[in-house]
Amino acid sequence: MNDYVSTALAVTVFVGAVRIGTPLLLAAIGEMVTERSGILNLGIEGILTFSAFIAFVTVDRTDNLVLGVVFGALAGVLVGLVMAVLTVTFKVEQVVAGLSLNLLGVGFSFYLLRAVFDNAASDLPSVRTWDVVAIPGLSSIPWFGEVLFTQHWLTYVAFAMLPLVWLVLNRTGFGLELRSVGDAPGAADLRGVSIERTQYAALAFGGFAAGLAGTFLSIFSTGLFFPTIAAGRGWIALAIVIFGNWRLGRILAGALFFGYLEAYQLTIQGQGTDVPQQLLLALPFVLTLVALVLNRTRSNVPLHLGVPYLRGQR
Amino acid sequence: MTEDDILLGVHGVTTRFPGVIANDDVSLAIRRGSVHCLLGENGAGKSTLAETMYGVHRPDDGHLRFKGERIDFRSPRDAIACGIGMVHQHFELVTPLSTIENVALGTTGKGWLDLESVRAKLTDLCGTYDVELDLDAPVGVLPVGLQQWVEILKTMYLGVDLLILDEPTAALTPAGVELLFASIRRMRDDGLSVILISHKMHEVTGVSDRVTVLRKGKVVDTVDTSAVDAAELTRMMVGRSVELSSVEDHPDPTDSVLRVEGLVVGDAGERGSLNGVDLTVEGRTIYGIAGVSGNGQSALFDALVGVRPATAGSVHIGGEDIAGLGPRRISALGVGSVPADRINQALLMDFGVDENLALGRHRDRPFSIRGLLRRKAFNARAREAIDDYEIATPGPGHITRVLSGGNLQKIVMARELEGEPNLIVVHQPTRGLDVSAADNVRRRLIAERDRGAAVVLISDDLDEVLSLASRVGVMFEGRIIGEVDDPVAERDRIGLLMAGVTDAHEAAADQVGEDDTDAAGGDPALDDEHEVVNT
Amino acid sequence: MTDVESPPAVDEAASAETPIGPVETARPGRGWRSGWKVERRLETPWFLEVAAIVGAILVAIAVSAILIALAGSDVLDSYRALYNGAFGTRNATIETLVQATPLIFTGLAAAFAFRAKVWNIGGEGQLWAGTMGAFWASLIFAGAMPRALLIVVVMAFAAVFGALWAGIAAVLRTRFGVNEIIATVMLNFVIINVLSYLLSDLWQDPASFYYQSERMPDVVALPRLFEGGRLHLGFVIALAMAAVVWFILERTSFGYEVRSIGVNPRVASYGGIISNRIVLATMLVSGAIAGLAGGSELTGIHLRLQLDIVSGLGFTGIIIALVARLRPVGVVAAAIVAGAVTNGATTMQLSTGVPAALVDVLTGLTLVFVLIGAVVVNYRLRRVSIVEGQA
Repeated sequence: MNDYVSTALAVTVFVGAVRIGTPLLLAAIGEMVTERSGILNLGIEGILTFSAFIAFVTVDRTDNLVLGVVFGALAGVLVGLVMAVLTVTFKVEQVVAGLSLNLLGVGFSFYLLRAVFDNAASDLPSVRTWDVVAIPGLSSIPWFGEVLFTQHWLTYVAFAMLPLVWLVLNRTGFGLELRSVGDAPGAADLRGVSIERTQYAALAFGGFAAGLAGTFLSIFSTGLFFPTIAAGRGWIALAIVIFGNWRLGRILAGALFFGYLEAYQLTIQGQGTDVPQQLLLALPFVLTLVALVLNRTRSNVPLHLGVPYLRGQR
Repeated sequence: MTEDDILLGVHGVTTRFPGVIANDDVSLAIRRGSVHCLLGENGAGKSTLAETMYGVHRPDDGHLRFKGERIDFRSPRDAIACGIGMVHQHFELVTPLSTIENVALGTTGKGWLDLESVRAKLTDLCGTYDVELDLDAPVGVLPVGLQQWVEILKTMYLGVDLLILDEPTAALTPAGVELLFASIRRMRDDGLSVILISHKMHEVTGVSDRVTVLRKGKVVDTVDTSAVDAAELTRMMVGRSVELSSVEDHPDPTDSVLRVEGLVVGDAGERGSLNGVDLTVEGRTIYGIAGVSGNGQSALFDALVGVRPATAGSVHIGGEDIAGLGPRRISALGVGSVPADRINQALLMDFGVDENLALGRHRDRPFSIRGLLRRKAFNARAREAIDDYEIATPGPGHITRVLSGGNLQKIVMARELEGEPNLIVVHQPTRGLDVSAADNVRRRLIAERDRGAAVVLISDDLDEVLSLASRVGVMFEGRIIGEVDDPVAERDRIGLLMAGVTDAHEAAADQVGEDDTDAAGGDPALDDEHEVVNT
Repeated sequence: MTDVESPPAVDEAASAETPIGPVETARPGRGWRSGWKVERRLETPWFLEVAAIVGAILVAIAVSAILIALAGSDVLDSYRALYNGAFGTRNATIETLVQATPLIFTGLAAAFAFRAKVWNIGGEGQLWAGTMGAFWASLIFAGAMPRALLIVVVMAFAAVFGALWAGIAAVLRTRFGVNEIIATVMLNFVIINVLSYLLSDLWQDPASFYYQSERMPDVVALPRLFEGGRLHLGFVIALAMAAVVWFILERTSFGYEVRSIGVNPRVASYGGIISNRIVLATMLVSGAIAGLAGGSELTGIHLRLQLDIVSGLGFTGIIIALVARLRPVGVVAAAIVAGAVTNGATTMQLSTGVPAALVDVLTGLTLVFVLIGAVVVNYRLRRVSIVEGQA
């Protein structure tokens, strides 16, 4: 027992929590912004997979990590815009559109993987990854330095996004428009706000953030790609937005919690344990459900979430 | 009249929707500094015309001129930029946001929000029109009267030359209407033009300078209000001379059918809850429930039909306690119900007409035997109802979505009046119907009453209640705060009761203010300084 | 019913200039005087709906052709190989139906739930639960009863296990307000780990290093329909299920209620239909059908529980249901097409080197275009003339 407790408190587990929580945080922030505009994008898992793949291929072919990030993020934006075409322009049911993008995102990645790497699934290359960036000075603070300031630069970006997104949502005209479109598109429309442009922008940002998250999975933390690389993170990000009650602070807490959970599980697995590995692997998904059952505050849910806006049909 | 006098010209505008011509070659001119009324029945095309002026619809034919310039609005944004503002019948507010944010929306650009300058200008505007308003409270918690002011402020903030008000009095008490009209006159005196959409005669004659009457999408005529009287306007509006029907004799009631005692639904203080309703309705009676909407009428309807459980109190129908019974069991007791919203409460729009006619009885004979549907019974019932009620549908199994409002209501009536119910509960039964369809519904209700049914008519259209009911209870803040036995004679008292004033001596109409500082608390009867607008 | 919207992309004039302010738009006496208006049809003729689906498939094939070309293979050769692999010989055709069998089940499972707007995305997990139920039943009952009864019992276990697994998500939604999409997806991840655990422990074949069970006794195997092909009784059961699902939806009062909450749960509640009960029942039925897919695959084909024998079938079922517009007959047709593509892709990969994973892209693209097509046919374009100079 003692062993489990000391592992739970080990610095390395917290370091891992922040690292593993990064893609969850990125994807959840993006999804929260998208949902605030009234669009439920269920395609996050597909975006993670697709952008992880694009970033991986880019680095494999060009050996250029910066390009990997750029193309990975753009891949996310692309899928986000496809979602926008489907749901905003064509008013396809959002749940259906999101699901189909999941299937398509994974399918495309799988096909292209086989096409690009000549069916040689067994010996896929691994690629270079970004190194951890220790922030001078701050990284020498005991505990915090290691946990918070010796991470990938994309992790810092993810954290920096929190205040930025908050400011845009709450302190700019665009943010006001975006929130209004999600709560009362009829009101926003009659006020001259373009519903379509706002939702396109929100979906593009959501795709961008999820694209970064997918990029993180392949060319920051592993250097690998396999079709199940997202491993449910897209769905957990969706759940985080729900029990985060569409608030950034609680979304951060949720992302770190699940990051911690996985880091802990990986660590004790590495140490060797009697607990079956499969039960540990199932744990995050069970806990997601538990969290949704225990925390049922949905006071901030955008009032028009998931409902396509048709002018004149109010 | 010179070109310069005309602010907005409508020139031969035709607007079509699938299956209907909403506006047919409409031409009219709105003068500067005038109140212009668009008068017409439901479905006459008033709202479409107004929304065309506001850029919501684009005409199929014809055009608009604003200040002499030809305009082609593609969206409300264009209209706003020209200085046209519109307050819709159904408010278009972002309820979680404050008044300031609602006003700022779409006016400040995409960049940094400067809410303080919005606040300053708003405070000024509120001062000009004597509106007391908590600018930082979410507008969703404001009473309806104030929400309307938020809408008006939204347009005034932008500095409009033309303000369009679509049925602005629907949710107001008679005193609230007076207050609004006073503000409208003031706006006119300040040089604004105001377009007022209405189907109520006394509103037209009370406030407008000119009136355009629309019928079936066409302009009947545009006249100076002072040159016509109400009877003539009515004739123009309906297309034939109508005798404003004097109330017929009400037959003698029979035994009590519905008894409601101390009914509480929802939490006290919650918007639209019921806080102890007592009510008895006899057979062969139409009992009207008047009141500004939002005072618990929906909760009362839902509790009577079994959709919402009572928190306390009891409801007896024909002597039977309905506690714990759902809609199907209550309906089996001989209760028919017509909810306010046909599309979101009464009809499955993607179902066939025949299937909708069975809803609620779909598990019972003849529609269903041991869980299996009997399509023949569906079909037979549908043909019968289509004949009896003259429902215009391509066929008994046709999808309901394509039918007009009047025909939708016929389906609901046919279903709910089937089997001669003892109690009929109707909520806004003629809302949105044209004059003949509404008349149809009213005559059905009278026939049901004469058959011996007890009818509970819940409506915020006071004229409708007065024209049908022999007894009227007025709902205010979840209670029936007064009952009137001779409704037509006591119209004024009903108006006061709707505003929450139970003692006519304490509050003269001119003292009534739009202030709502004490809406939730206190006994409204003691609060003689303010009209307490519903919450 | 006045849902006319401003044309999004079709309006050339609108896209040609920025529609802001009176300056650009108030152009007295001249300028463009006609445009297009997009409006919704009140009714869509059936042939347009069919045309939309056929069109969507053609567009998907065309787009996939680009991907084939990108992979460096000849497009026509590849498609020819695909077709021959699917229908070229009697055996190929039979194998196509073999591939279609589980997809009919999972497609029906999704279609049934989606008709109630209950978003059961857990067909995959429920299918796994079905294989586990079938396997467990065969462990207990094989040898204890006659073959016919045994098959019935094994399939019943598959259905019940599928239903129970779906029931967890249903209870989470109806009792605890947990969105069923999230719940079913999470349960997919949970059950695959549960199975993996069982195959590494309790159910592992002691003679194998792999995560797999012992081979099941032949007595539980579903009988084959023809000599010389793998097509088994499961295909017949699947077709029967399509009929059953159609019957439930169209001819029972339960089906009426399922459809009613899919149209508008609020209206249904005024008709005395209690949404939560119907959601629960719908999920159970949907889960049972998905469970049958698992039972049918396990006892009809594999006879050995392994980790990857049925993976992806649940998700493909969702695509099939949506392409079929949630109609049972359509599900059968779409499943056979999907089965053909899956089957043919193997041949295609062998003969032209195009990865068989193209199947996922092709089906996914088909779905996307079907979705767009289904919406587009509900609208029509109408020319709007704005006559000049009456003023």
